[in-house]
Amino acid sequence: MKRMTKTLLALSMASAILGTSGLALAESFAITNATVHTATEQGVLENAVVVVKDGIITAVNTANSLAAYEVDKVIDAKGGVVTPGFIGSMNILGLVEISAVTESGDAQDKKADITFDPSYAYNPKASSIAFTRKGGITRNVVTSGGGEDIFAGQTFVIDLTGGWDSVKQTNTAVFVELGANHEGSRATYLQQLVTQLEKAQKSLEKTAKGKKSKDNEDAEPEAADEIINQLLAGEKPLIVAADRASDMLAVLKIKQRFKLNVIFVGAADAVLIADEIAKANVPVIIDAMRNLPESFDSLHNDLSNAGKLNAAGVKVILSNIGDSHNVYSLRYSAGNAVANGMDYNAALASMTANVADVFNIDSGRIAEGKVADIVIWNGDPFEYSSHVVKMYIDGKEQSTQSRQDKLRARYTTPSDLPRAYTK
Amino acid sequence: MTKMMPSLVMIAVTAALMGCNQSEAQDPKVTINKNPYPSTYQALPSKKTIIKNATVLTGTGERIENADLIIIDGKISAVGQNLVADDATVIDAKGKWVTPGIIDVHSHLGVYPSPNAESHNDGNEMTNPVTAEVWAEHSVWPQDPGFNRAREGGVTTMQILPGSANLIGGRGVTLKNIPSESMQGMKFPDAPYGLKMACGENPKSLYGGREISPMTRMGNMAGYRQAFIEATEYKRAWDKYEADYTAGKNVIAPKRDLTLDTLKGVLEGEILIHNHCYKAEEMVMMIDLGKEFNYHSGTFHHAIEAYKIADTLAENGNCAAMWPDWWGFKLEAYDMVLENVAIVDAVKNSCAVVHSDSPVTIQRLNQESAKIMHNANANGFNYTEEQVISWITTNAAKSLGIADKTGSLEVGKNADVVIWNVNPFSVYAKAEQVFIDGAKVFDDKDARYQAQSDFLLGQE
Repeated sequence: MKRMTKTLLALSMASAILGTSGLALAESFAITNATVHTATEQGVLENAVVVVKDGIITAVNTANSLAAYEVDKVIDAKGGVVTPGFIGSMNILGLVEISAVTESGDAQDKKADITFDPSYAYNPKASSIAFTRKGGITRNVVTSGGGEDIFAGQTFVIDLTGGWDSVKQTNTAVFVELGANHEGSRATYLQQLVTQLEKAQKSLEKTAKGKKSKDNEDAEPEAADEIINQLLAGEKPLIVAADRASDMLAVLKIKQRFKLNVIFVGAADAVLIADEIAKANVPVIIDAMRNLPESFDSLHNDLSNAGKLNAAGVKVILSNIGDSHNVYSLRYSAGNAVANGMDYNAALASMTANVADVFNIDSGRIAEGKVADIVIWNGDPFEYSSHVVKMYIDGKEQSTQSRQDKLRARYTTPSDLPRAYTK
Repeated sequence: MTKMMPSLVMIAVTAALMGCNQSEAQDPKVTINKNPYPSTYQALPSKKTIIKNATVLTGTGERIENADLIIIDGKISAVGQNLVADDATVIDAKGKWVTPGIIDVHSHLGVYPSPNAESHNDGNEMTNPVTAEVWAEHSVWPQDPGFNRAREGGVTTMQILPGSANLIGGRGVTLKNIPSESMQGMKFPDAPYGLKMACGENPKSLYGGREISPMTRMGNMAGYRQAFIEATEYKRAWDKYEADYTAGKNVIAPKRDLTLDTLKGVLEGEILIHNHCYKAEEMVMMIDLGKEFNYHSGTFHHAIEAYKIADTLAENGNCAAMWPDWWGFKLEAYDMVLENVAIVDAVKNSCAVVHSDSPVTIQRLNQESAKIMHNANANGFNYTEEQVISWITTNAAKSLGIADKTGSLEVGKNADVVIWNVNPFSVYAKAEQVFIDGAKVFDDKDARYQAQSDFLLGQE
């Protein structure tokens, strides 16, 4: 499937013959005449061709070196830009329709704990999903909004098709919220984390030595214990929300002690300890637009932080953290990060390849073998003047029309009747 | 003695009925000081300056390529091609863009400052549905680091408003974005006050939750009407006092009421309405409310559904201040369209404004406008930069009642000017130099012109 298949037909011929064959769903297609941002070591390819078969990218190459491929359809990008579909993360997309209408919100629960799996509540028909596609977002890591426990719950991965089978991976990471404690000391949060890890580790050691306690002899491990065990085994990442540098340093020690796979989210003041974070190989998910000292934990928020962390060797992910309705605007954050010093390709990777790597998602790159989440833009994908020309998820074309377009059309289309008759 | 009593009473009663004797000496006239916290703003020192070779967007719909702009004594002295200014400081702006200083009609900087802490929550007097007696200027913390960030985004003027918890939330104040130790040092000289009103969900849900009125949208309307009925009576009483006193009578002044002072100012046209109001039907109601009490319904803020009633807004001379893309946080913010501002602007005599209501997006009102322009142009409109800039300059100045002073690069206007590195409607645009009244207040390449709040000084 991933192998390039040569054919006698030139691409243009394929277009002429098969483009009119009436195939609604092309099983294979080639995007031509594009500037391809691969988000791989290949970098940016001018006048390149991307071939997709059965939802997988099967070839990426420059036109000159390409003879021909057997494809059902050719899509001329007309000199536009091709990028991997962007991947949102650490937001609550699809878990809420209207934030203030509480019964339409399912991201949070007072009783949410480490076992909380909000994927049960995901609504692929939420009106925010189609709107989010306008921003070139094809996949997304949804997180829990949490409750009273330090553990907010677990993340899951969706595609943006809006289809009933949008939830692709569940329980992908554990989210823990540390930092300022409005009702007491932040120390208790860190201590709770350490205590739970210690307890689980001791239990595992006992089990390993065959010293099961009498009480638990026949008991199956609780769901929460199993999840902690997965953290200790490094099988599941622990996403840690913290802003103050001292909190992150404390977590780096915990990581080292328990050999955890840690990801920072928020990380306002990460720039103060960028070298330590890079050395520990901990990815950082940040909102590039934060530049106000919102609290005493985030005095070093700055528009240049994304670029500085990247330059220090930290794997950066850009995110509209916690957002529900305007995840679409992620690409503008990348543009602003670039305007404030971040390398362009790094900014692109921070919404594509880096997210894919950190969350084990098989898209995020324009590369052979990758899932064909692809966006064709009419220009620089970070610019306001650009928009999505075509979007593919798993190789299938998606619409970027949403309820908002219907409303605009209704109120800009002349009619003798009341607007309610314009549909 | 007892016999005299009736006649004495008669005299007293007669005097009361007749008012005061014309020949009686008048007590000193009671007047209300309308400006008890006056501006002490002083423009920073400025030099005669010529900005050369820029793409200039005047704010009045004009775009001039390779243009020069001359600033003398803090005012715009000339705009055009091939200008000459002897002994002027020359700024070569080749390849750069020049616009009027950005104006935000809706900010809570200073009243909801950073850091966000309980001690800093000074924007909503949530104790009564009508708190026309409070003035946002009395809450402003001039050291809010957000003022500096906004200036770095080209914002030279902004209106600081109370929040939207109340039907009538209090007075807003227009400030120049200049570092100062006092609110008065920032206060825009001779700018009219604003009055914050709020439609819809916020007031009714807050007070309804306390089981007091308003609990419903009809309760909201009753609340505004009751307040303006009282204000009308209060104004009548003061007008009568004025007339009688002018006629030489010695009359007792009406009892002063701080709440009604402000509403009376609205009825007299001295205080402009700034109305948080999302929905079409509510805006139309608020226009009629103004007509009922003979005041102008002013500017609608957060007007998510303005596109549904663009004609009505233009006919009634209302400005609509809008976001490009905020939505979904409340039911009244559900019907957002990305082209809202463009649809409102397309009507003749319209007044479309882009506002922030945010310490984050106030820094990028140019980019907020860019979102609208490009979405609109991808959907049948044909907006240009020279038109769009008016959403955050001239139209905003009109909304605030300061269009005679700032908002455009016209000769005689205050030299509030921004030099941008590239087209300001690019995601890569940055304000390189910012001028207020001709004085440089920000330079992204010169640390001497990068103000820092006391709060951030020395933080490690």
